[in-house]
Amino acid sequence: MTVIDDLLRGSLDHCVKCTICETQCPVSNVTPLFPGPKYAGPQAERYRVGDEPSVEWSVDYCSGCGICSQSCPQGVKIAEINAQARNKIKRQKGVPLRDRIITRPTWLGRAGGGPVAPLANLTIDLKPLRIIGEKLLKVHRNAPAPEFARQRFSRWFKGHRSPPTGRKIIYFHGCGTEYYEPWEGQKVVQILEHNGFEVVVPKQDCCGLPLQSSGLFDDARKVVLRLARNLAPYVRDDPDTIIVGNATSCTLMLKREAREILALEDDPDLKLVSERTYDICELLLELHDRGELKTDFKPVNERIAYHAPCQQQGHYIGKPALELFALIPGLDVVEMNARCCGIAGTYGLKAEKYDIAMAVGADLFAQVRDSGADTVACDSETCRWQITHGTGRTSAHPIDFLHRSYGL
Amino acid sequence: MRSELHYDAVVIGAGTAGLTAGARLAEGGARVCVLAKGVGSTHLAPGTIDVLGYAPDRVSEPGTALREFAAAHPDHPYALAGLDAVTEAATWLKSAVEAGPLPGYRYVGDLERNVLLPSAIGALRPSALVPETMAGGNAVASERVCVVGPRALRDFHPSLCAANLSRAGIEARAVEVEIEVDRADENALGLARRFDDPAWRAGFAARLSIMLQSDERVGLPALLGVRDPHGAWSDLEHRLGRRVFEIPTLPPSVPGMRLFEILRSALRRGGGRLVMGAEVVSVERTSQRLTAVSTHAGGRDVRYAAPWFVLAAGGFSSGAIELDSHWATHDRVLGLPLRGVPAPGQPRFVADYQAEQPMARVGVAVDGELRAEGAENVLVVGAGLPGAMPWREASGEGIALATASRAAELVLARAGGAPAGAAA
Amino acid sequence: MATLSTDVLVIGGGATGAGVAWDAALRGFDVVLADRADLAEGTSGRFHGLVHSGGRYAVKDPKAAEECVGENRVLRRIAADCIEDTGGFFVTTPWDDPAYADKFAQGCAATGVDCEEIDPASALREEPRLNPEVSRVFRVPDASIDVWKAVWAMARGAQERGARVLPYHTAVAIHRDGDRVTGARLRAARNGEEVDVEARVTVNAAGAWAGGVADLAGIEGVRILPGRGIMIAMNHRLVNTCVNRCQMPTDGDIIVPIRTVCVIGTTDEHTDDPDDHTVFESEVNAMLDDGEKLVPGFRQARALRVWTGVRPLFEDAKASDTETRDVTRAHALLDHAERDGVQGFVTITGGKLTTFRLMAEDTVDAVGRHLGEQRPCTTRTEPLPGSEQQETYRLGERLERKEQHLTDAQLICECEMVTRGKLEDAIRRRATTNLDDIRRLLRLGMGPCQGGFCIYRATGILHGLDGLTAEQANGSLNHFLHERWKGMWPILYGDQLRQVRLDEWIFQGVLGVEHLPS
Repeated sequence: MTVIDDLLRGSLDHCVKCTICETQCPVSNVTPLFPGPKYAGPQAERYRVGDEPSVEWSVDYCSGCGICSQSCPQGVKIAEINAQARNKIKRQKGVPLRDRIITRPTWLGRAGGGPVAPLANLTIDLKPLRIIGEKLLKVHRNAPAPEFARQRFSRWFKGHRSPPTGRKIIYFHGCGTEYYEPWEGQKVVQILEHNGFEVVVPKQDCCGLPLQSSGLFDDARKVVLRLARNLAPYVRDDPDTIIVGNATSCTLMLKREAREILALEDDPDLKLVSERTYDICELLLELHDRGELKTDFKPVNERIAYHAPCQQQGHYIGKPALELFALIPGLDVVEMNARCCGIAGTYGLKAEKYDIAMAVGADLFAQVRDSGADTVACDSETCRWQITHGTGRTSAHPIDFLHRSYGL
Repeated sequence: MRSELHYDAVVIGAGTAGLTAGARLAEGGARVCVLAKGVGSTHLAPGTIDVLGYAPDRVSEPGTALREFAAAHPDHPYALAGLDAVTEAATWLKSAVEAGPLPGYRYVGDLERNVLLPSAIGALRPSALVPETMAGGNAVASERVCVVGPRALRDFHPSLCAANLSRAGIEARAVEVEIEVDRADENALGLARRFDDPAWRAGFAARLSIMLQSDERVGLPALLGVRDPHGAWSDLEHRLGRRVFEIPTLPPSVPGMRLFEILRSALRRGGGRLVMGAEVVSVERTSQRLTAVSTHAGGRDVRYAAPWFVLAAGGFSSGAIELDSHWATHDRVLGLPLRGVPAPGQPRFVADYQAEQPMARVGVAVDGELRAEGAENVLVVGAGLPGAMPWREASGEGIALATASRAAELVLARAGGAPAGAAA
Repeated sequence: MATLSTDVLVIGGGATGAGVAWDAALRGFDVVLADRADLAEGTSGRFHGLVHSGGRYAVKDPKAAEECVGENRVLRRIAADCIEDTGGFFVTTPWDDPAYADKFAQGCAATGVDCEEIDPASALREEPRLNPEVSRVFRVPDASIDVWKAVWAMARGAQERGARVLPYHTAVAIHRDGDRVTGARLRAARNGEEVDVEARVTVNAAGAWAGGVADLAGIEGVRILPGRGIMIAMNHRLVNTCVNRCQMPTDGDIIVPIRTVCVIGTTDEHTDDPDDHTVFESEVNAMLDDGEKLVPGFRQARALRVWTGVRPLFEDAKASDTETRDVTRAHALLDHAERDGVQGFVTITGGKLTTFRLMAEDTVDAVGRHLGEQRPCTTRTEPLPGSEQQETYRLGERLERKEQHLTDAQLICECEMVTRGKLEDAIRRRATTNLDDIRRLLRLGMGPCQGGFCIYRATGILHGLDGLTAEQANGSLNHFLHERWKGMWPILYGDQLRQVRLDEWIFQGVLGVEHLPS
């Protein structure tokens, strides 16, 4: 056991059993299979002995959304304790093949993205193949599956020349942008350039979050450290150079979760990357606060719904997208007041958890439908795919609206 | 690059006091950010507005009693906030409820007279303002009471409640109703969601109505709906043809969650920000002023600078004030001096559980205008104030609302000359 | 007045008394077991739960060490269900005399304590919170025991063989017929009713209170020197192995993982009154500092409660009035026929929890002599009810059971995972309205919230089950709250203070229990 494990376990001492986490947990509120964060976290932890065999199964139904830790007024690291317990189950009982595959977006992306995308997308769209996938791999036949893009983001960027302003910024695009939504990355680049940054895109892979949230800690450590090794040299020598990302779950992984949950607190590269990483909306809001954000926003006369995903909330910076939307003339934003869309990364793809994920999302889906908005803004790509899957409404990253309003 | 944001006022804490202060500042035009380590006291409290219930005898007219009480306790938060603030805050809350996200839901009652409502064990609790969904439980009403408990709910025991009500002179009996649940550990929130569904409600009412006698009112644990409590409650009254009222029980508190949503939405309507998971981890200050606070946000801290700060982080129960294992007492949030701490060598607690505990009145030291000692731009509100024993006095929400309103008023009155971030 | 007639009346229902009742019942004697309070509410229920390997006495008291070695092995066999095989470490910290370690190893070898020196680094891997400065570590077969479970298992086993068990029955008189003790008069604490028990032999197993019982019998000079010690329970297990300082026994030198908590103990001060449970701040401070030496950060961890227990040390010529630790830990069996010429009366006192079975065996052997019937003792091999499978207890058991019944078993006490079924069963079985009795059986209300959430629930269930009046139910609740407060207020700081404030909020703010109609 390392010191950080001890800090997580030690935080159970702060629990006063108050039930606040139970009121917030999106999963336990829709299924009895997960008895809730208080039970699985600080309560069950008192019954766990380091190397004795795990006696539980229910904590595997925790989706790892992290809302419990965020809402706990006493500072109990509930989600992190749960993640450890889940990892122990996986270590002892083995990892399904499905979890080994869907937690590797880089493999999937390389296999299905780029020139072979049309063919790969066909397999995603074909119901019979999805049914076989469900039988063989336990990936739910109806789970939201994005289509691979014909051109990866990094290919596009190779042909792009960022104006050399000297104010360098490191762009961490993540797998979603790379393989599925390269246009989001293009918009990020254009917004940053519009605001005077010279965008640098280092070689990069997955952040390890899908592996971590499925309890595959050893693999997750390797993956995130490789990413940290790639990114750290770009920011090491200049204290003013930062890393920015639009995949809010992945930036959170770099900022906090890898260090806390994977017990990598002491890795110097990861620590450096963690200190310098920004979520794109967080960065833009801070620029605005300093008077450095260009505000040449043109009206966007549209009503949109905004859902701040769990992982974005896990940054503990509020909802900067809402503050940015307020700068856009004409934009009518309806703030959703629901906790989670249900997908939680790969949770909602799993055959045994798909229905739970849809039940979790039901509240949000209803609010979206009631909002009168045609488009939903949301900072996380997997959440956007789930929201679109659950509501039929189109969804976009908040920067889409800033991009439009800038007229870029 | 340092992460920092500037506001006109930063509020620390998202309980009743913090959200109220934030909402009122925002309504007054201030750019305000509420920083909260987590969800606050609302989810644990009955959702009633207790202003003054015991002084120390039971109070029936809180408005009148407050004058005498404040005069007799010049260091009490009520004396600092002033009685006008209490009245004004009560009025504001009612309007905030009505403008809030729960259609039709409202609070009734006033400072003229306390309402005596049954607790889950059948004691009577004096409150000034109560949700309409609870008002029917008023002990002065003459109808008999039928306390109804879903058998599945471990957090409510109707027979014990009814037995104690009977001893208090209220004719009461208990019935248990079977509710289908998918888990044995269901809490009030899980059941409350079902009451949002009209079809489910109709079935419940049908099952219950045959168990009721004429001229009985029905007391249920506080679980009549989350999204639409007014709809659930009035529909049930209509279907049962009698008065129905909610009885607050063990946490989680459904009416408290409603109050949280009401206050949160008031804050958002005014344009205020709410940052959850944001525990204050460091403070910057000059000799007389606080200039900024920082919170952890992943790998680095975010600095929030403002000319005004409102400390609404609570007392011992939230951990904002701590007694450590060396018996030293600290304000863990801002490191401000405390008042009411027993001198070294004096008892901190006494063996008699029901006696007044010497540590009970500890709070952050303030002057007559709620300003923290040693930090003139920090106003302290709510449970972090010294001099009160909210549970014993039944005064917690009254203190939270009144001091938060007063603090907002003081900031808004003085903020004119101080642009955002000037102190940084 | 009711009368009972029996072979053996045992006064005192701690581990020793219950052990005597169990042993005598197994030998086919008719038994009545009485205690002034609940079983194991005195000294037995007020210790840290350590089953000694013998290591603690290996240097200082070889005879006691040898007894522990033997009884440790027996208990693992007969009381497996009550025992967790935690193992133990003796560690040399920077505050301990480094020369003691070798003496310790030699002492263990001489007394048969199964002791193996291990590399401190591997000990730290097993127990990462252990002080990294420890220089030497010895592994011994310490274990921990749930005494309430063991005592009730013995009482139940005795009952199944015809014994009558009378908790809350105080001996108010010992009957004598000339030079023979013929039984005792017991008074029920709950309703004041008295019962006369005619017994062929009366066993005084009242531990620290044995002097008073002997006085009732008109026997002089049974002087018990109560040695008082404090113990502190921490909110979760900071260690999963019993950790002892490798030094001559002193204050605050053991941390015992027992059920969901760990307990640090203890002090040793002479007291005149075994019912004085005052805890001094200086003792708490010293104990927390001692905790820091074994587990750095101990003071930041959450302390749940503190309590005192009194050891019944029988005075011998060596004893001084102030230093009780030097008085022998070996037990004292007083056969009053030999000592005082009084037939039918035996006093058993002194000793330690680990050797209770041996004490009981010796005592019932003496009882047999009084009865003129020597029957062989079988407690060395006969498992206690519940321990027939000889599977030792594992911490995860309750979690595992709940997981198997995730949606249909309702948790009443969430911290200690006590289900509604278990609670209702215990209330019926004990026919009690005292929730503190239920607590000892089930650990109800013994976790972090100390009853904050479960006691209203339990009171409601009690009220519904027993057809109790509201007054009685309210009384049960209030009694429990007062009992819990006793153990909390002297050590209230940090996280537990937050908890107490939330609990007060629930009882005063939400339920208004202090305003219940009286």
